[in-house]
Amino acid sequence: MDMPAAEPLVIPGNWNFDYRYFAGDTATRFFAELRDNARIMGTRNPVTGQVMVPARSFSDADYVAATEWVEVGQEGRLEVFSIIATQFPGLPAPPFIIGYVTLDGADTAVLNHVTGVDLTDIDRAARQLLRQPRVRVVFKDAREGRITDFHFEVIPDTGTATGTGAA
Amino acid sequence: MTDPVAILGVGQTRYRRRHSDKNTAELVREAAAAALADAGIGLDGIDLIVGGVAPDALAGLANIDLMSIARPGIPYMRINTGGATGSSALLAGMTWIAAGRGKAVLVVAVERMGHATTAQNIFNSIFDPIYEKDISMSTISMVALRATLMMQKYGFTSDHWAQLAARNAAVSALNDTIERPRVFTADQVRGSAILAWPIHALEACPTTEGACAVVLTHAALVGDRTPAWIHGTGAFSDTYAMGDRFHRPEGALDNLITLERAARKAYGQAGITDPLAALDMVEIQAPFASSEVMAYMALGLCTPEDNVAFTERAIAGTAGVAFQPSGGPQACNPVSATALIRITEAALQIRGRAGARQIDGIRRTLSTGQGGATQFSTAVILGAEKP
Repeated sequence: MDMPAAEPLVIPGNWNFDYRYFAGDTATRFFAELRDNARIMGTRNPVTGQVMVPARSFSDADYVAATEWVEVGQEGRLEVFSIIATQFPGLPAPPFIIGYVTLDGADTAVLNHVTGVDLTDIDRAARQLLRQPRVRVVFKDAREGRITDFHFEVIPDTGTATGTGAA
Repeated sequence: MTDPVAILGVGQTRYRRRHSDKNTAELVREAAAAALADAGIGLDGIDLIVGGVAPDALAGLANIDLMSIARPGIPYMRINTGGATGSSALLAGMTWIAAGRGKAVLVVAVERMGHATTAQNIFNSIFDPIYEKDISMSTISMVALRATLMMQKYGFTSDHWAQLAARNAAVSALNDTIERPRVFTADQVRGSAILAWPIHALEACPTTEGACAVVLTHAALVGDRTPAWIHGTGAFSDTYAMGDRFHRPEGALDNLITLERAARKAYGQAGITDPLAALDMVEIQAPFASSEVMAYMALGLCTPEDNVAFTERAIAGTAGVAFQPSGGPQACNPVSATALIRITEAALQIRGRAGARQIDGIRRTLSTGQGGATQFSTAVILGAEKP
């Protein structure tokens, strides 16, 4: 039987579930130190000596429990970065910088927002950040025990990498 | 290796922004039926189906594979390793045959992200909710972080990324599986909006749906058909945490240690000592130019010292091996299927069935898969000769 061609049917749908993520005892303590003492704490792998920041209860590579807590420095090196320059759904208004920083005394890098660079000229800002500058931790006054309790601020005129790639 | 395993048939839907004229099972059937016909095997000859689907949330269907890929009367399992899902699914199927559990496996990977009205929101949800998700990461900035590392460490410039993107786009025009190939110049890339420096809007592949299917068989079922033979495979995993990969003794963030190990294992099985000389064609599961360039080193195609010069030869088409004859994932990246497409494209080239994008004399190929922030890597070497 001949049927008239129809526009493909589109049935609306939506996923909107709420969750609560259990952070575990180690992350709970890491965040409590941020909130209550403005300290950044790592955990040490007793076999390799590696200090993990943010703190983890065990090393991913070998499953070894890391139970010793160590405070790390509040300055470090910006390892890698990106400057987000377009509005993404659900993310903050651009431009802003994110990057991984190895804090002094740590052997892993922690992701956070980075400030202290003029973003009116994105390429110019990128050239500065390609030099892997030193950064310092800046804590919020009103901390709530989340990774957003601090961010990194570039220390002017630091960085040693050649950063030849900004053209 | 155990008895040889062959790719006897492949099938692909076209890849387009949305297949609004098909539900997911219909999309799967189109690719699966094409692969079965290509192999000359009926569904009743299949001993196992392996389904490949990355996050359910992209399609908004919990159990998307159970309702669209699993078939009555046939054992079934699903694989999810992010962007490496398709190749991981193929390796699972191959292992099933090698273990003597059956002689014919249908591998199907399907991407249904057109269902999502804001797919980027879902990509933003893949990060660790305890330590990282609040820092506004996206899948694009995740790649951008590494691109800046390549620029710092080796002296790559934004021009390299733009030129490689333009090269891949130009090649994709010959690929008739892509409904609307985008062709653009390096200047147009540089002139497009910065998404996450150094990545520009034209470098980000468009939303793509589609399904890809492969029929794998034991050598005994090949008969007088023309297969592509599996010569070597490797698959390795890494930590989820990118921040753990800066200072460890081996496997810095730019080294793609999982890909290096996967390739080394596959080369060993295939008896390859000089990959640049042995391989005719390479399909790299690299959704961005910087990811493709990182793979050159990991695959042993160039040294770290020669990385920039090698990339420039790859852009010029004089690197000594055909890269991404399909246009690669920069042109078309249906996430769940993309790593299986890399293998399918290699099989088509070896069997001389790649249509307008066919390159003469392809005898040996390498296809890679990359999932997560290169948490998972796979390497699959195919050849025209029975191993």
